[in-house]
Amino acid sequence: MKMLATFNVNGRDYDTVIEPHMTLADVLRDKLRLTGTKRACTAGNCGACTVLADEDPICSCITLAVLARDKRIETVEGLAAPGGALSPLQDAFVKNNAAQCGFCTAGMLMTAQAQLRDNPRPTREEVKQSISGNICRCTGYVKIVDAIMQAAEEIQAAEGA
Amino acid sequence: MKTIRLDGGDTEDLLYVGKDLQKPDVTQKVTGKAVYTDDIDMPGLTEGRLLHCPHAFARVKSIDISRAAALPGVLAVLTAKDAPEARFSRSTMAEALPSFAFDGERQDQRILTDICRYRGDCVAAVAAEDIYIAEQALDLIEVEYELLDPVFDPFEAMKPGAPKVHDDVQNNIAFEMDHPFNMGDTKKAFAEADVVVEFSGVNSRQKHLHMETDSAIAHFDETGRLTVISPSQGPHLGKKHLSERVFKDLSDGDIRWISPAIGGGFGARLALGLEPVAVLLARATGRPVRVTSTREEDFNGYSSRTDQHQKVRLAAMKDGTVVGIEQHIVSDAGAYLSHSATTSLVNMQKSLGLFRCDNVFGHVKVVYTNTPVTAGFRGYGNAEGAFVLQQAIDMLAEKLGMDPIELRSKNIRKEGEQSFFLPCKLEHSKLQECIDEGAKEFGWAEKFRGWDRPRDEGRFKRGVGMSILNHASGAGGFLLEHSSAIMKLQADGSANLVISPCEMGQGILGALAQVAAELSGVPYERIRVVTGDTDVTLFDIGSHASRSMFVVGNAVADCARKINAIIRERAVPHFEKRQIHVTADQLVARGGEIYPEGQPDKAIPIGEVAHDEIYNFTDAGSQISASGSYLSNSHHPNHQAAFAEVEVDTETGYVSIIRYLAAHDIGRTINPLLVESQMQGSAVQGFGFALKEDFVLDQKTGEVLNDTLLTYTAPTVMDVPEIDALMIEDPFEKGPLGAKGVGEAGVVNPAAAVANAIYDAIGVRLHSLPMSPEKILAMLQNDGEEHPAGSSHVSGQRL
Repeated sequence: MKMLATFNVNGRDYDTVIEPHMTLADVLRDKLRLTGTKRACTAGNCGACTVLADEDPICSCITLAVLARDKRIETVEGLAAPGGALSPLQDAFVKNNAAQCGFCTAGMLMTAQAQLRDNPRPTREEVKQSISGNICRCTGYVKIVDAIMQAAEEIQAAEGA
Repeated sequence: MKTIRLDGGDTEDLLYVGKDLQKPDVTQKVTGKAVYTDDIDMPGLTEGRLLHCPHAFARVKSIDISRAAALPGVLAVLTAKDAPEARFSRSTMAEALPSFAFDGERQDQRILTDICRYRGDCVAAVAAEDIYIAEQALDLIEVEYELLDPVFDPFEAMKPGAPKVHDDVQNNIAFEMDHPFNMGDTKKAFAEADVVVEFSGVNSRQKHLHMETDSAIAHFDETGRLTVISPSQGPHLGKKHLSERVFKDLSDGDIRWISPAIGGGFGARLALGLEPVAVLLARATGRPVRVTSTREEDFNGYSSRTDQHQKVRLAAMKDGTVVGIEQHIVSDAGAYLSHSATTSLVNMQKSLGLFRCDNVFGHVKVVYTNTPVTAGFRGYGNAEGAFVLQQAIDMLAEKLGMDPIELRSKNIRKEGEQSFFLPCKLEHSKLQECIDEGAKEFGWAEKFRGWDRPRDEGRFKRGVGMSILNHASGAGGFLLEHSSAIMKLQADGSANLVISPCEMGQGILGALAQVAAELSGVPYERIRVVTGDTDVTLFDIGSHASRSMFVVGNAVADCARKINAIIRERAVPHFEKRQIHVTADQLVARGGEIYPEGQPDKAIPIGEVAHDEIYNFTDAGSQISASGSYLSNSHHPNHQAAFAEVEVDTETGYVSIIRYLAAHDIGRTINPLLVESQMQGSAVQGFGFALKEDFVLDQKTGEVLNDTLLTYTAPTVMDVPEIDALMIEDPFEKGPLGAKGVGEAGVVNPAAAVANAIYDAIGVRLHSLPMSPEKILAMLQNDGEEHPAGSSHVSGQRL
């Protein structure tokens, strides 16, 4: 059964045709062609597909798309400024080489984005807790935690200035 | 990360090398713009799905595809009769190996089969307009199986009368070989030695767990030429292998292979994955076809580390001189051989070659069972071997009453001696310095309290352990180790660097561009790297064996030096015009400028010369370009010494790593940030191998019981201890700007160092990986006897 649906993603409304069994990850990737969000386990176990729904991090691979129609969805494509300038979090990931193969990166960024909104001054332990559901096979996590801590500091410094 | 420079400091003034420069592909990865195989769309793209056999060993009696084929939107349903009869190995290494190792590359598998040798074997493939239709079609295929008696245990499989996994293989022994470098008389050496130790153990089938599951697109263009797009670590060998072994009507040049962004490799992508079946479906449908595996398919059908059952014996004199080493390996290949014989050979080569010894004997058997296929994984046999050998050497140290450092230092091969890879000399080794400086940094002398010390009181007991390794910087002398690079200058003085290594996250493209910038004179930020397309790049055997920095790096260095010479030569008339009379030899091209030596104030931009060579040339004009090559025909290992401190909870059996330090013999660090990233990432993979990662097979059905990222417990951020990396720098004259390899080695030591630290803490030695809480508890309760429960290896038997 095909149905017309509207999704608000990164501040823009997209009209598309979906089927009831489609997940949000499938719609983002296959219908809206926002392929930055990754499917790595399609079971909600690894966090690679994390997007924000009304500012909360969710696994888009186990969220039925129909349930996301009335939410404000944010994906990795929406992090940079419209002109392309990287967000402080993205910039810190670049500077710390926190992305190796890059497949977990979108999920890490979105999880961290949600955390820094909730808790702008996290401790290192709190950062670790917040990404403990995101699996990375390349980095050994150290540089990811470094990057999130650095981004928090830079956001604070920018707001204090 | 700390660096110790052995020659007292660098006198060269380097602009790019040794700096934390940003790798070229990092921005696309943090913006979601990197394109992986499953992100690609193209006109007419269809999706493929595979039907796997649900039994460990079965023959297809009948297969009815009529209902599936009739489903609207289904374009093709293929079975074994539609697949080439030709057998092939997933490993592409057959194309790059010398003849003595070639039998280890048995061509034993078909794309689709009617004899299913494990639960991942494919009996049918479907292509459809979309993935949902393809999925529905799978449900409509009706297969009747004749069940056969399976065998899951390599020791059982070798017994007479055991089920034969492959009809043409006696006793299921797919490969058997004495170590090619056996020497001396081990029987005599062991008989005459003062001290002998023996230790046996087996590693688990660690999964690569690249976050991107396997995926491949194949399409034939209007001329019938094939393009394959997949996350391959070695596309040049891939196309040779695909044409030579699978689709014999194609030739090497008929295939263009593109490797887009790769979501992790760790050795898995050295083997063919879904490419052959994608090609088969593309041919049948006349449309582009993509096949992507699910995570469960990856666990059940793809590959893992090979479980290598090993027994090591060491013989030594009272003063600690090792006089004999023996190693026996029985490896469980799974249903097809793939890389399991070559990883076993490499295990022998590393284990038997680390120490200077005149009496060496090694023997390996690789056995078929009805279990998932195993293959090469970062470390490639070395991590499997270190877990056993490094415990054995500690046992020897204990028997002799020597410090583990002293015994290792006494016996390691030193620079200038014969290397483990005959007939090559060990031209460069700073392993001793890694041991000494690492021990100092770790505080070994204070932390290691001797063999006789009482264990800590109370529930939590601490201990320290160490391990050392040698690893490859490419397998020169063994593999076809040559590589080439191309560089060309654009009219604005920027450059393209065309190179073959596949970027799986290691940052190699950035490191190679740093070498190119340093030696060509073109600034780093003006070099654009072109890679991942076999129609554009020159031949290369792929990204593995920590070869890219050394072998490709040398090709890039050769190319960049040529570019530098051409730039200087073509600049001479530009200086003439300015009334400056110089020869090319008197000019320096560096950092985007050209100037007479010692007179940087007279610099002209490289862009001026590059521009005029294209747009304002005289009779000498031509775009500035060069290619460079390198053939590595010797073996140049990098080395590492690692130190671990652990705390064992004797009530739960849980082991915490408190601190881990690895000192690496790197030659020269090209990019410290990238190197540190590799050291941290490899160490954490090693911790998973040591303590957590198991691959549990149902011993009655052969089913993988933990086939999800929830039940296969890979390390999370909560498992990461304090990790220190120490670089021992001493530029190696044969490396590009002195560099040797680094990325692969770090996974080798952790399990061995942690095992030795556990022994130091609680006085028991574990014989199998992972060293999980239940095994530790069982050993504590059983007075040091290992309990087979929870063991990852199918066989409870021990070599």
